[in-house]
Amino acid sequence: MFNLLYKELRLAAHPNLFIFTLLGALVIVPAYPYGMVFLFGCLGPFITFTYGRETDDLYFTALLPVRKVDVVKSKVLLVVLAQLTQIFVSLPFAFLRVIVLPEGNPAGIEANIAYYGFGLVVYAVFNFIFLTEFFKTAYTPGIAFLWAIIPAALGVLAMEVLVHFPNFRWLDSVAPGDLMQQLPILILGIIAYALAMTAAYRISAKRFARVDL
Amino acid sequence: MNALDVQGLTKKYPGFLLDNISFELKPGRLMGLIGKNGAGKTTTLKSILNLVNRDGGTVRMFGKDFLANEEHCKQQIGVVLGGIDFYKHKKLFQITDVAKRFYQEWDEEAYQRYMKEFSLAPEKRVNELSSGMKVKYMVAIALSHNARLLIFDEPTSGLDPVARDDLLMLFRELVKDGERSILYSTHITSDLDKCADDITYIKDGKLLRSAEKGEFIRSFQHLKEPGEAGELTLEEIMIRTERRAYNV
Repeated sequence: MFNLLYKELRLAAHPNLFIFTLLGALVIVPAYPYGMVFLFGCLGPFITFTYGRETDDLYFTALLPVRKVDVVKSKVLLVVLAQLTQIFVSLPFAFLRVIVLPEGNPAGIEANIAYYGFGLVVYAVFNFIFLTEFFKTAYTPGIAFLWAIIPAALGVLAMEVLVHFPNFRWLDSVAPGDLMQQLPILILGIIAYALAMTAAYRISAKRFARVDL
Repeated sequence: MNALDVQGLTKKYPGFLLDNISFELKPGRLMGLIGKNGAGKTTTLKSILNLVNRDGGTVRMFGKDFLANEEHCKQQIGVVLGGIDFYKHKKLFQITDVAKRFYQEWDEEAYQRYMKEFSLAPEKRVNELSSGMKVKYMVAIALSHNARLLIFDEPTSGLDPVARDDLLMLFRELVKDGERSILYSTHITSDLDKCADDITYIKDGKLLRSAEKGEFIRSFQHLKEPGEAGELTLEEIMIRTERRAYNV
């Protein structure tokens, strides 16, 4: 597993993936729709998968002494690593902004517990559609991205709009009481992400097994 | 034990059928897989390697079923696929650094030796190499993990005569000690006159014949025209077998 990930990071990943991963830091920007961070986290894998097609990456992996199914595992691990790293990168900035920007984020949701919960759900939806669609053919990342980014973008939009309604102000808060109320959203996000990635891997592996490279 | 044992290999595509291909490759032998463009050579090689899903047949490498022992079998092979250049913008040392982690028998000293022997600079990028050098780089990787079966798909296509001759000499060297075998697809049959031990001929997805080269050539002498002296070459055999008349 380590070797597969090493291969992904050293050869397969487009430099953009690293940059978009670092964009977790955007949660320190004043008055910015932080949902964009998750859209960057969707864009990164898409660019890397497209780059992989141009560099014959799947052939390289498939000819290494691994099983054909490991080609899928390798890509799933890369996506998970990039997205979770992006979230971890953003965490210190999310704490810092409470201190340096105490007036909050007028543009949309705060970088709070609900934000990360929603983000994980957005990633779950995007990854499931993107990966399972991509591995139907393993050469049309554009179509897979199109199908996946529409619900992901709508999810982000819903999150950003929702917090402007008075009834959902608690979602836009960093007050300790409100954060506790948001906790179930984070738990839901973690569960959704874990389930989606497991299902995406299994379905993608089955589909890729039928693909003729 | 055969290096490669292919039995009844079948692959159906819409409009093309690779039909029941069977042949054996013994250790220390260099087998040429011939056929015109579109005959099914690449499909045969990809089906052997499980890059495409076969619809029938079995592939055994060194006595082990390929599908059931995919990782084990791949430890022992080196592959060059025609027209596929991995990571064109990466430097050779970057690719090697990744590839070597996957091989149990990686020999770094041998790798350095082969790189020198083939005049390959680790700092070069893949797209800075000539086609012949790319093949040599893949050969260096394969030899460094002690591959005993080398599978090349059109390795000499697009090479100048000097580079082709150079590669063919190298291929002969590789099989000389009887430890390694090469399966090598090409439509440049004159290459095989020089270096092959065995010939497998595929025509329109069907196996026409697989035999030792001398025996193979003799079995096609019925294609000779009256008054022709000497044996037909592989090229003449292929041209006469494939020749068709047009009614336009």
